[in-house]
Amino acid sequence: MFLNPWSLNLTLCAVIVLFLVGTAAKTAVRVLLYWDPSSDSNRQIRLEAETWLSATLVEYALLIQVLTLLLFVIAADRFSQMISGAMCATGTLTANAYGIPDLLIKLVGSFLYGFWILFHRIDISSERYPLVRFKFIFLLGLVPVILVDMVLQTLFLANLKPDIITSCCSVVFGDEGGGGRGNLLTGSDPQATLIAFYGLAGAIIMTGICFLWQTLGKVRRLVTGGLSGIFSLEWAGFLVVSLAAITTVFSSYIYAMPYHHCPFCIIKSEYGCIGIFIYAALLAGAFFGLSVGVVEPFAGMDDVAQTIRRYRRGAVLLSLVLLIIFTGLSSYHLLLYRLTGGA
Amino acid sequence: MLIELDLVTKIYNQGHANEVRALTDVTLAIEENTMVCLRGASGSGKSTLLSIIGCVFPPTSGRAAIAGKQLSRLPDRFMTIHRRQNIGFIFQQFNVLPELTVLDNIGLPLLPLGVAPAIRKKRATMLMERLGIAHRADFPARQISGGELQRVAIARALINNQPIILADEPTAHLDTRLSLEFMQIMDDLKTEGKTVIIASHDQLITESPSLDRIIDVKDGRIHHVP
Repeated sequence: MFLNPWSLNLTLCAVIVLFLVGTAAKTAVRVLLYWDPSSDSNRQIRLEAETWLSATLVEYALLIQVLTLLLFVIAADRFSQMISGAMCATGTLTANAYGIPDLLIKLVGSFLYGFWILFHRIDISSERYPLVRFKFIFLLGLVPVILVDMVLQTLFLANLKPDIITSCCSVVFGDEGGGGRGNLLTGSDPQATLIAFYGLAGAIIMTGICFLWQTLGKVRRLVTGGLSGIFSLEWAGFLVVSLAAITTVFSSYIYAMPYHHCPFCIIKSEYGCIGIFIYAALLAGAFFGLSVGVVEPFAGMDDVAQTIRRYRRGAVLLSLVLLIIFTGLSSYHLLLYRLTGGA
Repeated sequence: MLIELDLVTKIYNQGHANEVRALTDVTLAIEENTMVCLRGASGSGKSTLLSIIGCVFPPTSGRAAIAGKQLSRLPDRFMTIHRRQNIGFIFQQFNVLPELTVLDNIGLPLLPLGVAPAIRKKRATMLMERLGIAHRADFPARQISGGELQRVAIARALINNQPIILADEPTAHLDTRLSLEFMQIMDDLKTEGKTVIIASHDQLITESPSLDRIIDVKDGRIHHVP
């Protein structure tokens, strides 16, 4: 299905990103070999200018790469209209062996790309390029992720054929499991999932409030840095539990169909595109929540300490707001059902 | 030292056919509260040297520390901030905007700093009174004389109270009386604690008793640092 506007857009984005990141990777190698902040040589001064340009290009490339996650999911949803048996993105993504792995790579990659952009922003907030070496090493680590993403995406699109019969979401995520594929979430207990979901949400809010209180100087900094680590770990757990909770519990209340558990149908316009807002709030909240811990190793660097302090305060606050929005949106139909007794 | 250059080299269009080596291994130190003249013929490299001191661009190699900052290490946007805070420029052509009034021209450097219009006006008025051009405040810059234009340029260089004042061939278009007046104003600024660096080959400047030092620039090298 290459000759399709969605496929062409995805492929074009991948090519642009690969070109920009590939170009910047050359700078990364030079940084590894020659970067010497104490030198006044022509090479060092040129390298500083080069890193500035490369990092700016990478920032845009990675932003595009993050946006392709959204593009990919919407494209998969649209393809479902052309593939036999598919009712939503689930059917498309499971039509061959590359869809789900690519989605996971894109999902994990989006966080990594976001972290790189964050490191870059922290770096350029200082006059002395304190994170240049680190961020370019990190960039070299991202190159394989981008390459794997591109390969999987190409294989996925190339092997996506309208005449292949695939399974619809009711089979893939249904209670019965079947179609030869089995239920992707077999064994998850809705009750336990909900307890973990609300428990972790409560824990994140408590930790976040403690963190904000500490940064305001209201209490002694008894566990300096520790809170940010705990906060991020809680968010990591919450992200996984939330994805399971959306699939096993919340989605069926949104559809008002007890046996329909699909994480993708909720993005459809029939359901008011509520899924887009739910996922946007969850992923953005998780990003800011995780980033609080990710920047912790650099919090002690004099050059960026103040920037990181300010960022973490904002990130904690923002992630809490997004957590509340996400929890509210995802729980709305469930609560409505419970309060009205299913009327 | 307010200004320290160590083995500064500047090459324009490096690696291209039209490569020009404007400065070679310039080492120089200038203390604060001094008046220094960079003397040299056209094309000697004194304007390039002045531009590096003025944070207009970094050197190709070497260390340039201006007002406590390592210039060659400074990313572009920080260099701009550093320049705004520390350097006042007086250009050979004055570079005033002819359609703007004298008052607006003088207050112009405060615009990107987000200074409120009332404060801009207050500071500009103070400078105009001091330099004797207050009566021209509402005149468009194109309608005032050369001597007044020069004062507008000086006032604009002083509006943000920068510690370093740089002037590139400031008397090239002035007669003897105005040139002497200019030097008197520079002398007053030095007395106030500012550091003044003038690039010129005008004898009226190079022989002025107000100067603390003359630095000869020839073929991109410093030849004489008394």
